[in-house]
Amino acid sequence: MRSRDGNHSFSLRLCSIIFFFIISSAQAEEYYISYRYVVKDAIIYNESLDISPAMFTCNGKTYDPLTLQNNNSKDLSQILLRHSVEFIDYLHKIGLHVDHKEETLNLQNTSTTILTLKTKCFKVHFNDNFVKIAPLK
Amino acid sequence: MKYSLIFVALLSISSLNGVETTQEMQMQNTESASNMPQSQEQSAQSQIIIDDEISSNNNEEAVLSQEEPLIITVTGQGVAPLNTTSPAQAYALAKRAAIADGYRLIAEKVKGVRVDGQDLIKNMMVKRSTVRTSVHAMVRHANVVETAFKEGLCEVEMEITLSHSDFAQ
Repeated sequence: MRSRDGNHSFSLRLCSIIFFFIISSAQAEEYYISYRYVVKDAIIYNESLDISPAMFTCNGKTYDPLTLQNNNSKDLSQILLRHSVEFIDYLHKIGLHVDHKEETLNLQNTSTTILTLKTKCFKVHFNDNFVKIAPLK
Repeated sequence: MKYSLIFVALLSISSLNGVETTQEMQMQNTESASNMPQSQEQSAQSQIIIDDEISSNNNEEAVLSQEEPLIITVTGQGVAPLNTTSPAQAYALAKRAAIADGYRLIAEKVKGVRVDGQDLIKNMMVKRSTVRTSVHAMVRHANVVETAFKEGLCEVEMEITLSHSDFAQ
C-alpha cells in the first residue's frame, strides 16, 4: 500500500544514490608535484616537472587553490601540460627555493641559478569542466 | 728757500700719511688673512654637512615598518638559447631565465649575499683572483610587472611586497 506522500522509500533511495554518486565523482585525489629549473649564465639549461599520485594520504589544509579548465579528463599530467604556462606561474606564486652560485675567476664570470619547488602534496578535485589544484600545508 | 722748506714739510707729511695708509693696508691684509682660514673652514664644514646629508639621503635604505608594507622592485635579465626551434620558444625560455634572475635579485636584496674571495699572489704578481658569491632563499608571491624582449634579451620587471607580518615570529 502506498503512503499518502507517494513512494517515499523509492525517492529516498534515489536521492541517496545520487548523493553517493556526487561524492564519489567529486572525491579529491592527491598528487606529489615537484618542479626545478636551472639557469646557467642567463640561459635556461634544464627544466623538470614531476607529477606522481600519492600512495599515502597527505595531511594538512589546502591553501591558494588554482582552477584550470578541463574537458572531462582524469589525467593530471595532460591537464597540466595543456595549461603549463598558467600552472608554472602558479608554482612561482606558491614559492620557490632560490639557490644561486656565481664565480668570478680572473674577471670572467659564470653563474648558476637553480629554482626548486620541493616535492609537495597537492589535493586535486577533478570535475567535468574544471580541475581545482591546491597545495597542502 | 721758503718754498723749499714748505715742500719738504709737505713731503714729510705725505710720507707719514703713506706709512700710515700702508700700515693700515697691512693691518687689513693681516686681518683678512686671519679671517680667510676661518671662512674657508666654515665653508668646508658646511660642505661636509651638505655632503653628509646628500649621502645619508642617497644611502637611506628602506626599512620595513609595522605601519606600511615595503615594495621591492628588481629587473631580471635572461638570454634565449641559440638552439631554439622558433622565436616563441626563444621568448619563453628567455623569459624563464629572466624570472630566475629576478628571483635571485629579490633574494639578494631581502636575505643578502654570501661573498668569498681568494687571491693567489706569486712573485709579486696576481696569479689567480677568485670571487665566489652565493644566495640561498625561499621567495614567494613575487609578481611579474612588465616584460620586454629585444634582440634576444628578455628583461622582466618583478616586484615583491614585504609586510611586517611576514617576518613576525
